[in-house]
Amino acid sequence: MDETVAEFIKRTILKIPLNELTTILKAWDFLSENQLQTVNFRQRKESVVQHLIHLCEEKRASLNDAALLDIICEDVDLFDMKQFKNSFKKILQRALKNVTVSFRETEENAVWIRIAWGTQYTKPNQYKPTYVVYYSQTPYAFKSSSTLRRNTPLLGQALTVASKHHQIVKMDLRSRYLDSLKAIVFKQYNQTFETHNSATPLQERSLGLDINMDSRIIHENIVEKERVQRITQETFGDYPQPQLEFAQYKLETKFKSDLNGSILAEREEPLRCLIKFSSPHLLEALKSLAPAGIADAPLSPLLTCIPNKRKNYFKIRDK
Amino acid sequence: MEQANPLRPDGESKGGVLAHLERLENQTSRSRKRSEAQAQERVLGTKIQKLRHLRDDPRAALWHRRGSVKACIANVEPNRTVEVNEQEALEEKLENVKAILQAYHFTGLSGKLTSRGVCVCINTAFEGNLLDSYFVDLVIQKPLRIHHHSVPVFIPLEEIAAKYLQTNIQHFLFSLCEYLNAYSGRKYQADRLQSDFAALLTGPLQRNPLCNLLSFTYKLDPGGQSFPFCARLLYKDLTATLPTDVTVTCQGGEALSTSWEEQRASHETLFCTKPLHQVFASFARREKLEMSLVS
Repeated sequence: MDETVAEFIKRTILKIPLNELTTILKAWDFLSENQLQTVNFRQRKESVVQHLIHLCEEKRASLNDAALLDIICEDVDLFDMKQFKNSFKKILQRALKNVTVSFRETEENAVWIRIAWGTQYTKPNQYKPTYVVYYSQTPYAFKSSSTLRRNTPLLGQALTVASKHHQIVKMDLRSRYLDSLKAIVFKQYNQTFETHNSATPLQERSLGLDINMDSRIIHENIVEKERVQRITQETFGDYPQPQLEFAQYKLETKFKSDLNGSILAEREEPLRCLIKFSSPHLLEALKSLAPAGIADAPLSPLLTCIPNKRKNYFKIRDK
Repeated sequence: MEQANPLRPDGESKGGVLAHLERLENQTSRSRKRSEAQAQERVLGTKIQKLRHLRDDPRAALWHRRGSVKACIANVEPNRTVEVNEQEALEEKLENVKAILQAYHFTGLSGKLTSRGVCVCINTAFEGNLLDSYFVDLVIQKPLRIHHHSVPVFIPLEEIAAKYLQTNIQHFLFSLCEYLNAYSGRKYQADRLQSDFAALLTGPLQRNPLCNLLSFTYKLDPGGQSFPFCARLLYKDLTATLPTDVTVTCQGGEALSTSWEEQRASHETLFCTKPLHQVFASFARREKLEMSLVS
């Protein structure tokens, strides 16, 4: 049996929880009843897996057999809206007797959830609700920033269990515009594609230069301006940028200086500082920096990676 | 007093000689002036001629050229029509090639080279109906990566890419095509059910983004007294357009007569083996048949 096939089967079996293992192996129908009976399923998982791989080798499992096992094990998300709503509400109500949960489904497969929080003894505060938008059959939910931070872990738990996922992770991405957050998270901000039907992607770009200038000056300028335009287009594309208001960088780095004997450079501890960029439309502002001559092109990757990395809150430390 | 006679000799000839000399001097200067004027006239004459030539030669040349151009045009006219024909032929060829490239869409998988890699276009279809198209823009680098795409968020693109993109790009594309075509097919069936057979449904169709869990209630005779059926279709195989699990129950929960039980079981089988809208089409036909029999 090929090593890659063995590895593939091993990884697939490792993902199966022990209590489901026998059912799935029977459904796979590759190892015989006799073979399965020789396995002690009460051992530690690694030993069980090793034994099973050994049996697969004996029977010379092929890539097709491995692929079939993969299909059977596939964790298919059979999202049922009713089930989700019931489960979500139950979890919150079990933990906090007083909580108001309302749902509203929208066209784009999104469910809007409004939660008013109370405690065991107080009624829910309807003036400080938390809103969550969950896109079913995706691993993403968007939450409004709420002042009642102590309920965040419970909310995370409710979402995780109701959506049948394993864990929830907070992303370092914040904005006031849900559509922009969606575009970044689902990587839908660039929807222009080259096809044989579309018009030529190369566009004549007028640089708007003053024609009364000395022609020699214009030539030099044109070369640099074209370079800047090209780099900007490659980095930011031609599509409208998603709208963000901030980018925040928490630095914990050693100060690097060319000057000898600089006080800051001699510090043992790293310098801690916070740099915050704010703008009504941060990404468009960054895009216009180089063409306006305010910054050199290419811009720092720390700035240009925001939509790609799906974060606008960074922690930077020395490696 | 006696007047001086120029022809008289001595005193009289002095006046005469001086006057004669004066006369001769005047004659010479007059003739000199005359010859100067003539010389100048000659110079001016030549100058005028030169200027005339300067004016007339280009004019002549221009006329000459015009004449020759006209002659040329008369000769060239037949050549221009040949050029136009060539252009038409090229345009026709271009249209042909464009049409062929568009026709590639019908194969389901086509692509266009880009400056950084390739933009793959997946055209989905179900039962001969061309459905939505999806794009994946790939950057050809080590490692191969997806630059951007239009695949819906609930299709497990990242998983498929993690499995196959680096090792076997054909398998990656094939697998993605499978998922997208199956999703398109399931969506098509659900849409057709909602649009064409709303009369047979007694409640709204419940569906999820992947269209892999559908539940609905329906009646075979919309106006009649029969019990509605509840159907729940699970498509656990995301690469298939037919459900893996079907449960049909009778709303009301009462014990069903054998004929109802037979019907319920047969419906379950139908939903497992035929596309959803076709099952309902057969229900509608049966209903019409029964109606026509009754009347």
